[in-house]
Amino acid sequence: MKLKVKHQESYSRLELLLRTLFGFLYIILPHLFILFFVSLWGAILRFIAFWVVLFTGRYPKSMFEFQVGLMRWSLRLSARIYNVADGYPAFGIKGTDEYTQFEVEYPEKISRALVLLRLFFGFIYVYLPHGFILMFRGIFVNILVFFAWFIVLFTGKYPPSFHNWVVGQIRWNYRVSLYMGYMTDTYPAFTGDELPEEA
Amino acid sequence: MELHPIPQPDELDIREKEDASGAYLMMFATTALGLPLPIVNMIASVVYYFVNRSKGRFVKFHALQSMYSQLIVSAINSYLVIWAIVNLVNNKPFTDVFWGLAIAVGVFNLVYFIFSIIGAVRAHKGRFYYFIFFGRLAFVQVYSVKEKQHEKPVNLPPKM
Repeated sequence: MKLKVKHQESYSRLELLLRTLFGFLYIILPHLFILFFVSLWGAILRFIAFWVVLFTGRYPKSMFEFQVGLMRWSLRLSARIYNVADGYPAFGIKGTDEYTQFEVEYPEKISRALVLLRLFFGFIYVYLPHGFILMFRGIFVNILVFFAWFIVLFTGKYPPSFHNWVVGQIRWNYRVSLYMGYMTDTYPAFTGDELPEEA
Repeated sequence: MELHPIPQPDELDIREKEDASGAYLMMFATTALGLPLPIVNMIASVVYYFVNRSKGRFVKFHALQSMYSQLIVSAINSYLVIWAIVNLVNNKPFTDVFWGLAIAVGVFNLVYFIFSIIGAVRAHKGRFYYFIFFGRLAFVQVYSVKEKQHEKPVNLPPKM
């Protein structure tokens, strides 16, 4: 998996203010409205993909690409909500973005035993440990986002270390989602940093 | 009737087979969302058809066959669900006719489920599988060569 959000040299203060004051109306509301319905379709495909993987050991490629596209769209939106990227996020599964990047290698085979293991014990060995850490990390990230807002407003720069923490939070969440969505057999790492093989 | 070439299993790539197979699994859409609304399956089948119809005739055929059959099944299921809701809301008793229909619909769904699974497995192997009536309808629609609607050219130069 490769998830990147480009750290810009400078951030637009005007966009920051616009996003803060009206972002809910012109970014979040229209995107979430459409994402809600697209996500319903995503949920249907995920359920179907589960059975296909269970019986064939292979995730249907079209469904896989759809899920990756959906996650990419969500990443574009999250990047704006956290103020780590400027510009307006593109709509659609095939939308592109100059600031965000999300690639997942298509697995030719998915372990069926692991599928069952995740189904029955995923809560214990994935959601519980990762969720526990992500919850506290998330609180810290939100504090960073709060301070970063003022820093961007006064300096036009987003501190790189803050940026790494915020992007790391998204990356970590995505790793867990990929694993629990049966899209990879690689157990999610306990870090938000890029892994050597992801660079 | 002139037909487009019919592909053999080894001429289809795995992706086409998967996409064709997926069409029959739209019957699980309601289960996936956890909503007791048969119309969800119908919507899923229609969406799946329109999303995948450009992926080749093999995929289009299976998606269309699945959609046609799903339309009928969803209509019958919806009728039963609406009847049940009306009875519950108006506090009316469930008559024997209702239960008769409910059992018939249950059997019908079971048969549909079995045939859909067979269809999904066959499609995954790159093979055709024809449902009664809908199979022929979908096949003709997808594989028959349509005559050109306009023999005369439509775009002409301006009159001099």
